[in-house]
Amino acid sequence: MSDHLLSLDEMKQVDDYIASGFKVHSVRENLSGMFVEFKRQEEDVCLQILTAEARKYLAAKLLEQTLKQEETPI
Amino acid sequence: MADLRIDLAGIKSPNPFWLASAPPTNSGYQVQRAFEAGWGGAVWKTLGEPILNVSSRFAAVSFNGQRVAGFNNIELITDRPLEVNLNEILETKKRFPNHAIIASLMVEPQQEKWHEIVKKVEAVGVDGLELNFGCPHGMAERGMGSASGQVPELVEKQTYWVKEVARTPVIVKLTPNITDITMTAEAAVRGGADAVSMINTINSLAGVDLDTWNTVPHVGGKGAHGGYCGPAVKPIALNMVAECARNPLVNVPISGIGGISNWRDAAEFLLMGATGVQVCTAAMHHGFSIVEDMIDGLNNYLDGKGIASVMDLVGQSVPRYSNWGDLDLNYNIVAQINNDVCINCNKCHIACEDTSHQCIDLYTESGRPMLKVREQDCVGCNLCAIVCPVDGAISMVERKSTIPPMTWNERQSLISNFIR
Repeated sequence: MSDHLLSLDEMKQVDDYIASGFKVHSVRENLSGMFVEFKRQEEDVCLQILTAEARKYLAAKLLEQTLKQEETPI
Repeated sequence: MADLRIDLAGIKSPNPFWLASAPPTNSGYQVQRAFEAGWGGAVWKTLGEPILNVSSRFAAVSFNGQRVAGFNNIELITDRPLEVNLNEILETKKRFPNHAIIASLMVEPQQEKWHEIVKKVEAVGVDGLELNFGCPHGMAERGMGSASGQVPELVEKQTYWVKEVARTPVIVKLTPNITDITMTAEAAVRGGADAVSMINTINSLAGVDLDTWNTVPHVGGKGAHGGYCGPAVKPIALNMVAECARNPLVNVPISGIGGISNWRDAAEFLLMGATGVQVCTAAMHHGFSIVEDMIDGLNNYLDGKGIASVMDLVGQSVPRYSNWGDLDLNYNIVAQINNDVCINCNKCHIACEDTSHQCIDLYTESGRPMLKVREQDCVGCNLCAIVCPVDGAISMVERKSTIPPMTWNERQSLISNFIR
């Protein structure tokens, strides 16, 4: 699979998790890429992101999530 | 006609083109001929205790037919007594009162030696002083030049000593043979410098003769490192000027030096924060008359842009020079190939396939060989456009990102909130 196709696949997985109510709980980066822990109530999943484009995309999603949380009235 | 006059820390000259302290400014005869040709100023070849030179002294690096792409020298400062130079400066200043004459100075790092030479040189009416803390060969072995210029404390202290007695503006000329030139530039400012100039030459060995195994140049079979300048060093010099120009602690004018060969180079240095430029190698290669094209070219450029004074150009690009961490990770450009112009040399395909990101495909259309960029795989590295021999065959075009701008620093700050 080309880097481009792989990045599209990874971005779709990010979108799918978010669309189904998951939120990013934690992020860890190391030599193997980025590991994103999504949480939905008591449920959590970990997604490994390999491609640079998808790691950029994930950062944009983190920004969206952060801005939404800031907008949410306490 | 735009106003090309500059005022660099109080030193006024009819245009921004000065000859750098070097062989072209060795004597009154040369400097006066340069002024007649149109140069706005000259930094006199460095004055100090007269030295002894060796023969041979210069070497050049040619690259793919381009003569003097780089220039190497092992010549030292003036070999003539101070009084001889001062008499010629006096005579030259009388003949050209409106041109800038700056005396380049180099003495041992002792307060009384700096005081002595500054007083003597200013007595003949120079417009400013340039402290040579950059010369990398010969003099450095004696504790002067770049040996002083690589130690911020020595730069600061010697600048301070000069400022104790100087009545004219003091420019401190910096060596590039240091990891971070802003450290020594800041030291010069702390010492009271009115301006800084950069770059002096870069430590170099021009080559080795494959038949004799001698260095190039060699002096009776032995060589020593020299100082490198000319077009090859321009990007290094331009970066150093820009780094100083955007450093708030280097809040003095900059005289730009390093591979400036034509008006375009000069304009780039001015945009990146230099108030004026100094030229050496191009004059040594082509003669003093090159300044005519420099003046015409810069004037036409300013007129074309509707800019009244060259001083209005100074520093305009500095705000656009930043740190890598402040660049937008989500800005995208991709290559596009115009097959109507392309000559099918395939250099772009080879470069991309072998050394970049494998995104240029070869195919045929109606029996004609064609090239196409797979834009989704193109990272916008520019390599294909760089190696393409045909103007207009490859364009780099912006592709609007679907995600908002975000720098590396912003990303790291954001992610830090999610590290648990």
